[in-house]
Amino acid sequence: MTEHVSPRVNAARLGKYIGRTIRLTCKVVRSQGDTAIVQASDGGEVSVRLTQGTHLDGSFVEVIGTVNDAATVKMLACINLGNDLDMDLVNDVVELWHDPRFAKLV
Amino acid sequence: MSQYGDNPYYGNTGGGGYLAGGSPFGSANGSPGGQLRRAAAQHSLRPVTIKQLHNATQAHSDAEWTIDDAEVGQITVVGQVVSINSQTTNCLYWLDDGTGRIEARHWVDAGTDDDAERWGGITENTYIRVMGSLKSFANKRYINASHLRLIKDPNEIQFHFLETFTVDLIFQKGAPLRPSEASSAGAAANHQGTTSVYNPQSTATGGMEQYAHLPSIQRRIVQFMMSQPHQNEGIHVAAIARHIGGDAQAISDALDRLMDEGHVFTTIDDSHFALST
Repeated sequence: MTEHVSPRVNAARLGKYIGRTIRLTCKVVRSQGDTAIVQASDGGEVSVRLTQGTHLDGSFVEVIGTVNDAATVKMLACINLGNDLDMDLVNDVVELWHDPRFAKLV
Repeated sequence: MSQYGDNPYYGNTGGGGYLAGGSPFGSANGSPGGQLRRAAAQHSLRPVTIKQLHNATQAHSDAEWTIDDAEVGQITVVGQVVSINSQTTNCLYWLDDGTGRIEARHWVDAGTDDDAERWGGITENTYIRVMGSLKSFANKRYINASHLRLIKDPNEIQFHFLETFTVDLIFQKGAPLRPSEASSAGAAANHQGTTSVYNPQSTATGGMEQYAHLPSIQRRIVQFMMSQPHQNEGIHVAAIARHIGGDAQAISDALDRLMDEGHVFTTIDDSHFALST
């Protein structure tokens, strides 16, 4: 099942997942053409290359994509998360996700 | 669980208690694995990740599933719907929660048309919560879903993972202690060298946790009373006043409040107090 693993990350952890699929819960800062600038749960800005014809609406989205480099993600899919999300909570989940104590769970 | 505690047939050993018949739980597959725990597990709902479901083990095809040696009954998963395959008798949802993918099969009751209303709103690329049980068919695992619903608040997704982590820690280390238990059990745990992350400040507050919410003067009175040698007639109010000092009226009021809340009681007369615990 390893081909379907997509860890939850923030901006700081992107660099460790270059070439792999991740989930980035983020706030949309601005969206122009086929690129969007988003803010990850740790506050870092990430550039997302959107798939054709995608429009990011809503202020919070979860981007599933492959990591190009430490600050760029190529989007595969996107989930709208509405306008009310506690980003500190999201970041806690991201950090615990990578905590070795829970390696068996995620 | 405690209601079974007095039953001589179901000791708290959790093993070896196989009875040939007459099990009050009516379990036909009487394995010597402690029926009591089994019944409890079957009625519980455990939050899990999809990876845990793939790593769950089963002794044989009819046995209960276990995750890290803990039996699981009902499970709940939160995941993104990757695809929906609606058939006449059931509906298949491919779920992905980031730890893996699994199929959730929901049997449709053809006789009722309120299903569309109850399970409606679920589309691809939304998060849903699924409750059900883990099944295996032809070496493929799936969730037999008894209930599913759309997640409308994205904070619930975060909650599910945090709850999953918490439950895992509880299975590893035992339940977090209630504040009143923390001091004694925390000290015991420290003796064994296994400090639980849950013990809220097992520092040397000497059993004061249950009084932590009290105003300072009441707490000081309790602390003083705890420090005194135990006497049946309790402690005279004058001794308390001498130790605490300050306004006699304030001390009297504080004692009245402590008495109202049941922390202390009067003994031989109205000026002798003893701690309730």
